[in-house]
Amino acid sequence: MNRDRIAIDVQDVVKTYEEGRIHALNGATLQVSEGEFVAITGPSGCGKSTLLHLIGALDRPDSGRIVVNGVDLAHMRDLSHYRSHRVGLVFQLHNLLPTLSASANVQLPMYEAQLSFWERRAKAQRLLEAVGLADRAATPPTKLSGGERQRVAIARALANDPPILLADEPTGNLDSKSGQLVLDLLRRIQRERGVTLVLVTHDAQIASAAERIVRMLDGRVVDAGVAPTKAARLPAEGE
Amino acid sequence: MPFFMLIVRNLLRQRIRSLLTALGISIGITTVVALGVVTHSVKATAAEILRAGGADFAIGQSGSSDLTFSTLTSEQLGEIEAYPGVEHAIGVLMVISPLGSNPYFVQLGIEPADLAHFEVPLLEGRALAAGATDEILLGREASRQLGKGVGDTVELRDRRFTVVGIYRTGNVWEDGGGMLPLATVQEYERKRGLMTLIYVRAKPGIDLAQLTARIEQDHPELATLRTLSDYSDVDQGMQLMDALNLAISFLAVFIGGIGVMNTMVMSVFERTREIGILRAVGWRQRRVLQMVLGESILLCVIGALIGSTLAVIFTRVILIFPVVRSFLALEYTPDVFIRGLAVGVAVALLGALYPAIRAVRLSPIQAIRYE
Ligand SMILES: Nc1ncnc2c1ncn2[C@@H]1O[C@H](COP(=O)(O)OP(=O)(O)OP(=O)(O)O)[C@@H](O)[C@H]1O
Ligand SMILES: [Mg+2]
Repeated sequence: MNRDRIAIDVQDVVKTYEEGRIHALNGATLQVSEGEFVAITGPSGCGKSTLLHLIGALDRPDSGRIVVNGVDLAHMRDLSHYRSHRVGLVFQLHNLLPTLSASANVQLPMYEAQLSFWERRAKAQRLLEAVGLADRAATPPTKLSGGERQRVAIARALANDPPILLADEPTGNLDSKSGQLVLDLLRRIQRERGVTLVLVTHDAQIASAAERIVRMLDGRVVDAGVAPTKAARLPAEGE
Repeated sequence: MPFFMLIVRNLLRQRIRSLLTALGISIGITTVVALGVVTHSVKATAAEILRAGGADFAIGQSGSSDLTFSTLTSEQLGEIEAYPGVEHAIGVLMVISPLGSNPYFVQLGIEPADLAHFEVPLLEGRALAAGATDEILLGREASRQLGKGVGDTVELRDRRFTVVGIYRTGNVWEDGGGMLPLATVQEYERKRGLMTLIYVRAKPGIDLAQLTARIEQDHPELATLRTLSDYSDVDQGMQLMDALNLAISFLAVFIGGIGVMNTMVMSVFERTREIGILRAVGWRQRRVLQMVLGESILLCVIGALIGSTLAVIFTRVILIFPVVRSFLALEYTPDVFIRGLAVGVAVALLGALYPAIRAVRLSPIQAIRYE
């Protein structure tokens, strides 16, 4: 990880829906450094989720560029590999497959990695331990609380050790206590693993935990926050 | 969890639906396998007839629609006997008519003198006497069913015959039938001087392929019969059965395919969001395809297993009827079951084609947004 390097570079991205009638993104521009924790806030419908989905390569922009770790997503040959290995996604809702156990859910992205059944299982167990759910590995999501589900989703996002974590309102449906727990977990992961964390939230208090707060309005980034400098960020281990 | 278990899990989510779909598929496969077993068994029995009495091959009239309609003359028999490679040739008139509870009592008319060369394993009694007109040899099954032994009389075609011997060849048609003097059968069939088949034993060391080719070349009106496929060539009944079998296989694939498609379409639609999540966490299109096809194939393989089991049970059950037992000796060969499985896989692929395309085409974002 190198804080002076740009991890995510979004340039002038436009995304429309319904044959151009809905402008979800209207020239959004954003840079995120490696290892940085950025919170994106803004009113409902301003394009936060859309932006996150585009960075996660779930969809393609109409125009503009998204460059991740020096590679333009538009020119990326293997988007599946990017999704499984380069970024980890956590959504607000409906994250997990309801019929699979927590462990099986965490293993899902690993099918695309060259891992044996045993390796997958052991790694899922380690990740569940990391999110404090070691004893719930066999439990299906329907028997987990909302906060526990989000922690399983975070463990799954980390399945193939991606350098970037994208979380879309991961605490949106949680009470403040479990929301705080999930937030603490994400921050710890960001610090301990040196992961770049982009978190979308409505919640000002959650956003304040970030190193930088980006504000969006009508499909644009209207305030990129304080540019990441050495002084602004929290001290990482070993520095 | 192994990928295969993931597929099993997906099917187990809708147990009843999966089971009903598998049962639906199994019905078609039962028909295909049961019909296949019966066809094969009948053919195998028929093919044995071509080598009856230890013959190297048989000769029939080419182009006859049914083997029993084959008509050969004594002149033709003489011509065959004249071939230098032929050790001996035996003319036989084959007739099928009801006797007792057996609607397909097979009567072989044979010259008593020829029985010396026609290998019939006698269990009891003696062979037909030279010049006898009212003697009959009974197959063991026929003897059992009729309750007649050596010394008893049998009434057949308004004539009385004395049972002089009991034989057992192992072929259901022969063992369920009898052998009578050729002249007698020719008389009551009004086929004086005519026969159905000529059984040929070649001299030792003779190349059978060459001999049969010679005969067919010299006599285009004759067909030499050595194997099952030779038999099917002269017997349109067999060809009809083959055609019926093929038609039912296609029907089974088609009907089963629609059932599977219905199930898989529902299952894929219900899981739109899940498939989107899988794509979002990096599953390749190929893997989604593997999952959907895997589910469909597993469903159909289960259907094929159920269907094959039902077919075995069904074919066993029809043997309860003595009538069936008198002309059907079941033979279960692997290729009939392989065909059942192949039909199952064809059903799976046909049925999964459209849903699989739908699943693979789902973009992760459509799926995530899908409510
Ligand atoms: N698939 C779609 N089809 C049509 N319109 C869409 C689609 N996805 C998003 N939009 C529209 O694009 C705009 C931006 O949506 P987006 O979900 O990015 O907003 P958001 O900032 O995440 O809002 P929220 O805070 O409510 O989650 C909205 O007006 C939304 O209705
Ligand atoms: Mg949103």
